[in-house]
Amino acid sequence: MTSRRQFLETSGALAAAAAIAGCDTSSHVRSLLNNDVELPFASPTDSAVNGVAHTIARLSYGARPGEHARVRALGATESEAVSLYIEEQLSPRQYDHAAERAVRRLEALAEPLGELYEFQPSLLRDQIGAAAVLRAVYGERQLHEVMVGFWTDHFNIDISKGDCRWSTPAHDRDVIRPHTLGRFPELLRSVVLSPAMLWYLDGRVNRRATASERPNENYARELLELHTVGVHGGYTQRDVMEVARALTGWTVRSRNTSRFGIGAVEFHQELHDDGEKTILGQVIQAGGGRRDVDALLTIVTQHPACALFMASKLCRRFIADDPSPTVVADVARTFGATGGDISATLRTLFATNEFQSARSSRLKRPFHFVVSALRATAAETDGGKSIAAWLERMGQAPFQYPTPDGYPDEAAPWLGTLLWRWQFASALIANQIDGTHIDALALRRRAGDEVALHAHLIGRAPSAYERAAASASANSLALALSSPAFQLT
Amino acid sequence: MRSRPGLWSSGERDDPRTLVVVFLRGGADGLALVPPVGDDAYHVARPTIGVTQRDAVKLDDRFALHPRLALLAPLFHDGDLGIVHAVGSDDVTRSHFDAQDRMEHGGVTGGGWLGRFLRARHGAGSSALSAVAIGTELPESLRGAPSAAALRSLDEFTLGSESDALISALESLYHRHSGPLAMSLGPAARDTFAALRRLQQLRDEPAAPANGAQYPANEFGSGLAQVARLIKGQVGLSVATIDLGGWDSHFTQGAVIEPLMDTLARGLSAFRHDLSRDALASTTVVVMTEFGRRVAENTSFGTDHGRGSVMLLLGAAANGGSVRTNWPGLESKLLDGPGDLPVTLDYRTVIVPILEQHGVPDAARVFPDWVDTMGAGR
Repeated sequence: MTSRRQFLETSGALAAAAAIAGCDTSSHVRSLLNNDVELPFASPTDSAVNGVAHTIARLSYGARPGEHARVRALGATESEAVSLYIEEQLSPRQYDHAAERAVRRLEALAEPLGELYEFQPSLLRDQIGAAAVLRAVYGERQLHEVMVGFWTDHFNIDISKGDCRWSTPAHDRDVIRPHTLGRFPELLRSVVLSPAMLWYLDGRVNRRATASERPNENYARELLELHTVGVHGGYTQRDVMEVARALTGWTVRSRNTSRFGIGAVEFHQELHDDGEKTILGQVIQAGGGRRDVDALLTIVTQHPACALFMASKLCRRFIADDPSPTVVADVARTFGATGGDISATLRTLFATNEFQSARSSRLKRPFHFVVSALRATAAETDGGKSIAAWLERMGQAPFQYPTPDGYPDEAAPWLGTLLWRWQFASALIANQIDGTHIDALALRRRAGDEVALHAHLIGRAPSAYERAAASASANSLALALSSPAFQLT
Repeated sequence: MRSRPGLWSSGERDDPRTLVVVFLRGGADGLALVPPVGDDAYHVARPTIGVTQRDAVKLDDRFALHPRLALLAPLFHDGDLGIVHAVGSDDVTRSHFDAQDRMEHGGVTGGGWLGRFLRARHGAGSSALSAVAIGTELPESLRGAPSAAALRSLDEFTLGSESDALISALESLYHRHSGPLAMSLGPAARDTFAALRRLQQLRDEPAAPANGAQYPANEFGSGLAQVARLIKGQVGLSVATIDLGGWDSHFTQGAVIEPLMDTLARGLSAFRHDLSRDALASTTVVVMTEFGRRVAENTSFGTDHGRGSVMLLLGAAANGGSVRTNWPGLESKLLDGPGDLPVTLDYRTVIVPILEQHGVPDAARVFPDWVDTMGAGR
């Protein structure tokens, strides 16, 4: 049995050997990135998706070659293996070497906030899109990456709006990622004061210097409706207005009007409405100034509707479009009891019967489909413009959803993307995607045979009719990636 | 209106209307495209490069077409082509990047205006070919679309050399698929197979344009021809975008923009004739640019970045046969900033009624932060 640590050490040794051998940069990078190079792997053999394959499918962007065998070997029984995999993914290492190595050449993304404003917006958009793809394809902290995607939708920013063109990379790096599996209240606070969010939902112009000025309610409404208690969370228009008052005075230095310190988030007492506020029945005393935001966030994050709303969104993402109220209540209970501990909440969710039994029942969204195909085929990819063009065709390019509700989780909006999925699969297998390469022969050799490779791709042994279709298709790999089974998770 | 088979995604009616947006990048000179030859101040400001009364292709008492756009005159008089003058955006930077960006986003807001239009139009769902950008990259206007493909030719739709075997194997798989989501995946797949066949047919059919239409033999011409094929092929195209760049005529303007005007006129004229009356009735072409040019010519027989320019509209919602404008006049005291044709009509004022005819009556969903301060014009 190979432990995860041994596995990583082995792949490190392989990489080091490649480096010593003095091979060219690209194959060096290749061997560093594909920690599963060239080794034979065992595919799942059950006729239905087993617990291990299901858990990998939901907690990650899809199994790489050998992933199933590695996870199965974590425990003596299937359920023990599943539990240990869940724990591994819930407590990832601080630093994901594979992911960070893959994105290292995207240098603009490492610049401090103030420096980002020096770049062309299109370059930042290309790089942040490529980074999202590369981290998802190569990252080892897969659940972390899946949850980054969840929060990116939950706290959606459209990179094309105003100064978001420059500040979105900092939003991803400094606001979302540090708190991804941490505590919801801390994540939320960092979002509320994110330079990009202050632009995207107009918080920067929410002011009340005189009694006659009307605060801008845009962010206040979305804070309640989309970010915390949900549209049925029991708030009123009056609450929206009071939340807006509590948030007055927070600005971000704009590229248009500031010469230095662009992107800096500042509190202006003179623009803040410092009177008393009542939010969801709770009073914030007058004179709170910049502390109003903390009082406000305590009220909304401790409200029972917030736990329910967050639980229902997490259940929708990880279980089904329409999760049962019972499972939502169970997950909400953990969220409430732990003060919004995201890992603890997910642990409860993954332990439910609903989660374990919801196999092959969700439609992968386009980003998930593309990344899972790249992972499954051990593709080398630069995650660059060609991949971006496919994601645009399928309507899910990272950071390009225009409205604050984020890309939808439900299947219906994505059903029109099948044509592009099939074309993507064919292009990938034919090595017709610039900057992306697969070695189909090596993949087949490593899997052992055609049926085993098919099983690896769809997470279970193919049925008789699936095997028949594969042999009739003259392109069994493209067929498997285009098949209904590969669209589902 | 024609009825089309429901080729695309399940559960929504296929609306045959297509909006084609032609973006003239670089700041096209509206005063050259549609010169106000009836305005004395025009001839004073443009002594060398202006269009003379004699050369002009008259449209009404004030406006004419540049002789290089003469092919468009019959379209105008037939009522298929409408012109809007002294139109533009509220961006005053006179920067190509800023002005294009602002115009294509439709204000300071997330996503492009066509992206939001498509989302508003289709609600949640979308078909694979609802939006096509001719070229290699999506324009900013299509950012945030539910689906948008940059392509140069229909021939880019393929499932590889053995596609027949692959498609029939896929068909059997989707047909046999049962379990969760089968009720939605099945019909979606059936629609997609029908679409694939339609595309295959389109590729195999002779591609000759109808009615002897002759597209210019360049990228713009072949791009417009592809758009016409997609429209005639009834594949569910809602939006197509195509660029014609190179209008930044600071120096020897005639040499720079006359070939472009040729291309534009021949392209639009061919497109008009290629489409049947019926197809034209459900199609609108909007030709726009980020800004116009300085009224007075400069010393190198060119013009510098300005403000107001023209929009050309072709087809169903074109309001053809008239030049719509709040004409400000060209005397220097009437001009904007360094001497530019003022923007007296916002481009969104022109677009909103078109969007209505294309199925989105709620302008706020497409231009959420826009407050019209200029009025409707005549």
